[in-house]
Amino acid sequence: MDVTAIMTSPMLWILSGIMVVASVSQAIVFFKESIKECKNLGISKERYTAGIRSACITSLGPSLSPVVSVLALMAVVGAPTTWMRLCDVGAARTELGVVAIVANILGVDTANGLDLASFDGALWGMALNNIGWLLITFALTHKMSGIVSWMDQKYDPKWIKALLAASTMAMFAYLLSNQLYTFDIKKWTAALVSGGVMLVMTTLLKKHKRLQEVALGVSLICGILITQAIHG
Amino acid sequence: MTFDQKVIRNGRITVGIACIANFVPALYVGLKYGVQPSISVLLQLYGALAATYGITWIIQPIAYYPTMGAAGSYIGWLAGSCGDIRMPAAAMAQKIVGVEPGTHEGDVIGTLGVACSVFVSASLITLFVIIGNQVIPMLPSFITGSFSYILPSLFGAIFVDNARKNLKAGLFTFVAGIALLYFGKKIGMNSAIINILVIAVGIGVSRVLYVQNKNKEAAAK
Repeated sequence: MDVTAIMTSPMLWILSGIMVVASVSQAIVFFKESIKECKNLGISKERYTAGIRSACITSLGPSLSPVVSVLALMAVVGAPTTWMRLCDVGAARTELGVVAIVANILGVDTANGLDLASFDGALWGMALNNIGWLLITFALTHKMSGIVSWMDQKYDPKWIKALLAASTMAMFAYLLSNQLYTFDIKKWTAALVSGGVMLVMTTLLKKHKRLQEVALGVSLICGILITQAIHG
Repeated sequence: MTFDQKVIRNGRITVGIACIANFVPALYVGLKYGVQPSISVLLQLYGALAATYGITWIIQPIAYYPTMGAAGSYIGWLAGSCGDIRMPAAAMAQKIVGVEPGTHEGDVIGTLGVACSVFVSASLITLFVIIGNQVIPMLPSFITGSFSYILPSLFGAIFVDNARKNLKAGLFTFVAGIALLYFGKKIGMNSAIINILVIAVGIGVSRVLYVQNKNKEAAAK
């Protein structure tokens, strides 16, 4: 049987879909629980709806980011696997990296297309890589929440609050630095334009509540389009 | 049962199911077509992947926890793209609702944000996978070219928003991040180790500033 036909067979669509369904169903369960908890906490519908809108708008831009990777991954491992792996653990670039590692070990050139054995090797590689994150999440997450409560009780809660905010800020500082440390002028332009727009929207225009919800989305669009207009 | 208890129960059940579902396509293709890799090949694969991503497997879920909370972590690590999609969605939802990360309210709103990001990204990826081959080549090159600037733009905006609350610590951490990545990569340092060092710098600087402010307040009294 032709490898491409196996890669895109209906059975593979169904089996790949299990993970996508698990991820979306999990999100639905937690979404419902969170809405209930918002009501228990007295967070008004207006407030949490604004949060939901903002999260959806914010997710649109970065969700478009793997478009090129989607096409690259589809060309190598077919549509069902691409669909599963981009909807689950790991970013698009990680999955492409895993395929490259597998191809290297199996001595295959992905440019010539995978044979059936190396396709299964790629499926195993992606699964083995993903299980690393899943097992740590499974084993540690419930303990982490206990650690935060313990720290709150043992140390100055004001400092713990500042510490958690600092670790979030530092994580974003790392993610930004990771984009900019090569000193590529185009990426610096994108970050500066987008950061500048964000600053204006969250300071000068902070009284316009609806604008705050779309601030990140608008900053992102300005960043990418202005950079493209300047640098091409 | 409290919200937190439900989160842990549902999170462990769904992530447990995902651990099994994760292997189903590989097992199906291997067994149905008789191309199952040998144990030695699988171990070799695992070794290469652990060497490349192993530290990240451990460090990222811990480092992202303060913003994501327990539920956000379960959703975010199952759905992937934590740094690129889930964290920004959680952070923006928390900011708009006006709750602090790391508090119970922050966890609940962060969870809403992360869940919504899954609905959006799963829909878009499904759409791309179905129609991508036909539609994407038809987009003007101005638009497709601009996609390569999405991540620096995203992190530029979200970092500015985070750092302006504590400008000194933010700028110091960013400069340290650039220096650590620039020199660290030159000597072949693992990205996950650099990630931890940047977080340590951010926490360290914030601690120094926090103590300084506290001393100033005490002196003023």
